[in-house]
Amino acid sequence: MRSTHLPGQRNPLSARTGDLSRRTLLGTLGIGAVGATVGAWPRLTGADIPGRSSTALNVAILGTSADAAARQALVEEFTSLHPDIPVRIQAIQGADWRDFFSKILTMVAAGNPPDVVYVATEGAQLFAEKLAEPLDPYLTRDAADIQEYFQDVHPSLIEAFMYRGSLYQLPLDWNAANMYLNTSALERAGLDRPADDWNHDDFTATMRAMKSTTDGSFTPYYWTNRLFGGVVPWLYANDTSFLTEEKAAGGDWFWDRFYGQDPTRAQRSGGYLWEAPNAEDPRVIETFDYLRELVAEGLGVRPEGGGGNALVGLFASSRIGATPAGGYWVQGLHEAGMGADDFDVQFFPRWRTQRHQFGAAGYAIMRTARDKDAAWEWVKFCASKPAMELAIPSPNTTPTRRSMVNQSLYAATGPEHWKVFYDTLDRFPTSGPIPAPPQQAAVETALMKNVSVAVSGSSAQVRSAMGSLQRDLELALRSK
Amino acid sequence: MSTLTAPRTTRTLRPGMAARILVLLVAAALTLGPVLWTLSTSLRTPSESFNLPPQFLPLNPDFTSYVEVFQQVNMVLLVVNSALVTLLIAVGQMATAALAGYAFARLSFKGKNALFSVVLATMMVPVQVTIVPVFMLIRGMGLSDTLLALILPAIPTAFGTFLMRQYFLGLPNDFAEAAALDGASPWRTFRSVYAPLAVPGMAIVGILAFNFHWNEFFRPLILTISQENYTLPLGLVTLQGNLGTGSISVVLAGVILSMIPALVVFIFGQRTLREGLTAGASK
Amino acid sequence: MSTPTLKNTTGTTTPAPPTRSSAAARRQRSLAERLIAPLFLAPTVVGMAIFTIVPILGSILLAFFRWDIISAPEFVGFSNFADIVNDPTVRVSFLNTIVFVVVAVTLQLGIAMALAVAIQGRMPNWLRVFFRSAFFFPLILSAASVSIFMGYLFNEQFGVVNWMLSLIGIPAVPWLTTSGGAAAVVVLVYVWQNFGFSFLLFIGGLASIPRELHEASALDGATGWRQFVNVTLPLLSPTVLVASVMAIVSALQIFDQPYVLTRGGPGDSTRTAVMVIFESAFQQLEFGRASAIGLVLMMLIMAITALQFRLSRRFVFYQ
Repeated sequence: MRSTHLPGQRNPLSARTGDLSRRTLLGTLGIGAVGATVGAWPRLTGADIPGRSSTALNVAILGTSADAAARQALVEEFTSLHPDIPVRIQAIQGADWRDFFSKILTMVAAGNPPDVVYVATEGAQLFAEKLAEPLDPYLTRDAADIQEYFQDVHPSLIEAFMYRGSLYQLPLDWNAANMYLNTSALERAGLDRPADDWNHDDFTATMRAMKSTTDGSFTPYYWTNRLFGGVVPWLYANDTSFLTEEKAAGGDWFWDRFYGQDPTRAQRSGGYLWEAPNAEDPRVIETFDYLRELVAEGLGVRPEGGGGNALVGLFASSRIGATPAGGYWVQGLHEAGMGADDFDVQFFPRWRTQRHQFGAAGYAIMRTARDKDAAWEWVKFCASKPAMELAIPSPNTTPTRRSMVNQSLYAATGPEHWKVFYDTLDRFPTSGPIPAPPQQAAVETALMKNVSVAVSGSSAQVRSAMGSLQRDLELALRSK
Repeated sequence: MSTLTAPRTTRTLRPGMAARILVLLVAAALTLGPVLWTLSTSLRTPSESFNLPPQFLPLNPDFTSYVEVFQQVNMVLLVVNSALVTLLIAVGQMATAALAGYAFARLSFKGKNALFSVVLATMMVPVQVTIVPVFMLIRGMGLSDTLLALILPAIPTAFGTFLMRQYFLGLPNDFAEAAALDGASPWRTFRSVYAPLAVPGMAIVGILAFNFHWNEFFRPLILTISQENYTLPLGLVTLQGNLGTGSISVVLAGVILSMIPALVVFIFGQRTLREGLTAGASK
Repeated sequence: MSTPTLKNTTGTTTPAPPTRSSAAARRQRSLAERLIAPLFLAPTVVGMAIFTIVPILGSILLAFFRWDIISAPEFVGFSNFADIVNDPTVRVSFLNTIVFVVVAVTLQLGIAMALAVAIQGRMPNWLRVFFRSAFFFPLILSAASVSIFMGYLFNEQFGVVNWMLSLIGIPAVPWLTTSGGAAAVVVLVYVWQNFGFSFLLFIGGLASIPRELHEASALDGATGWRQFVNVTLPLLSPTVLVASVMAIVSALQIFDQPYVLTRGGPGDSTRTAVMVIFESAFQQLEFGRASAIGLVLMMLIMAITALQFRLSRRFVFYQ
């Protein structure tokens, strides 16, 4: 057997001096580690995080430290009005809302949940079911103060946050799945911006024209595989969904009080209920088959999971003709170098209906909040117009207040037809939120995994994928 | 090689050697190509990110994406966190593995083999199996959402103990005998004689720990919540942005920045690691 | 000293037989060792007890409960295990994991071996250093960042990989959006990053093979492949065992790549056992179910490792 070469045994008998320096080395390393531990103790225990152990109202948002810093003006304004309520914004990073919610749940599990959480439609019912406090008593108490907010906000956005007759959040920003169009691609195809009531056949024709006038590095339609803006807008336009949609009773106290005069008052309810799978509905299959054909014909990409990070860059460099997105996209395109005339928006195409899908978000008060009254003051303050103007200075999302979706917001960025954003709600008042029952994570997983299978094969594969989606959804909806 | 056979062998080997080098070159290109593309794309503006044909060499570098990384995430804090976590885990593993490895290699005590088998068996326990109870333990210790929650559970190391045991077994016995004759205690024998000799072995444990934990994703994903406690890999994934608003060149700039510290350790540690691992594995 | 000297086989430093040390001194020393050994072992053993053994017991307990962390745990007997047996997603994820391990580990070891043998030949030293560093380089990256940039490279419409394929006339491959393509990408990205480790182990193993053995077999007329199979491989078999055990145990726990690249899709095609554990626990708050799946994975890992060591008795050749 051969000796293997180990550096330490080169000179076993004359290694004294080497050992001495090695001993010094070990000692230095040990002392260094102890020094680092002592010196960085606040860092190691998180004690240096500002406000960590304070009793300040802890507000969790999805975003980076930069997003938290951007809300500093908001916090200062709130503090000047309520000097007795210190506020700490805690930015939680996540690739998407599902990530963010699982972080919040982890915080609950770790025993230090935030007091207030910014929750999007994706998590509205999860929070309402398990974590959030209804706003009902506060709304009744402060009805006079809050009346003005509801007058400025479309009832469809509010209804998305009703759950079994109670309201849990005041939505501050929202986005519908409208259709973004690349102006240069339209021009190359010799087309004008489509009409407001274009239908899915017009859409196909537009995509074909775009495709035939470009080379291989261009894709007419880009869409992502997720709950918002993926397959659901098409399902809604075709007057169906992959879950049954019912509405809960209740909520009349609220609607009568705040939206008594609204023309759509009669259709408002105690909130959406998505309690059973509906994946094998003929219209669902028809919709998936349409998308499958788009992909097969090379008019649309196979949708990728996750966010589709490349999207802004691809659209801005004119490699994409059209994609569904909301007002949140304007600022990103602007920053990626698109001029106001380089892109435009239009309603989502019509099919059996022109019902749109939207998502919205607002603050929810946690049931575990130490001081719920203070939390409500934050919620109420953030819904005020001055606060919303501080919170949304640029079109990186759409404000829920109609009065704020105006020319000045889009002056620097375009698009020309920015009115489409809020008109979506007025023109199509049945537009509905992202279908997200309390079991949202499992539902989204089930949807995503079967969408990609359904649209990348044959017509028969659509049917089998919908069968599989139906089964997965049954499993997902079984537990609460 | 004998001089008689040498000319013939070299002649027949030559085409074979060329083929070998070609294979190695292709493999090296496939290994380094993606990294070069990442580097050059991070040095372009977002709208040029997807230009085809691709660039593998950064001509006309544009550093706006790097500036943007520092604006979007607290890069300095991410590096500090990753460095603290990996340094303390590495030193902790070196110390505990050296002690335990020494005991398993050179001390005699009851139940040694059984205990060593148990230690080895823990190598097969996936971290995902224990993460929920560990999470609850951490909560019980009041360490939820701290860097210590990442450090403490990672210090006991089965693989490191195994490596150090092998290393001590490979060291000559003479010193122990000599030290024993001098009346040295087992602790002094370890501290003055064997620990210094085992520095290269400990370096391997340290470098492996550094590499693994610098890049670790799963545990930080679960055990840290505040972005102030994020480590680099976590910060990078979230650079991708919410709902597709992240810019590819910014993400790639973050990727490149996160490589630098690991690259430094790699350059300085490569030799030790190679020698140590090759020795350890061929035993 | 008892055990170490038995194992200390380095030829150059055969221990001299203890000559003058008296039996009494010996006994005294072994007593001191027995007293001090626990102190040497304590940091590791206590740490493992707290952070590995206790959590395993906790996991076993938890597997019999339904628990969402928010409300009180509810004892459900074996129903978590029954659920995972009946859940097609869990079944598929385990199947995926096993297929992944077989394909990825075979590729990883095969590529590493081929390159380790190739680098043995005569070449300038700087070139050898360059190759070695290049192959090792991916190991210093995090799997998360590798998956990020690989995701861009494998983009169907705009990725560099498909652009290169188009140069040789191959139409765009839907890498990340079809079952086969996504699984292939996960394997490729994993192997790309990890073959360097096996490569390093193999060049170490090759270096320890006495040159005379190769020369002797060359004189017998054995060259190339035959020499590799008959001489190199048997001598390398202990290294192959170590490399394959390490590769398999780590591949069985794959998570980062599919999590970042595909989130398990399309369909369930890249969902792995660890992904299902993560999703059950931290997205769906089914902690009991997650524990049950984890235990099944742990038993699988132990069974495979035990099998490997059993097989190794027959196939590994110790010099």
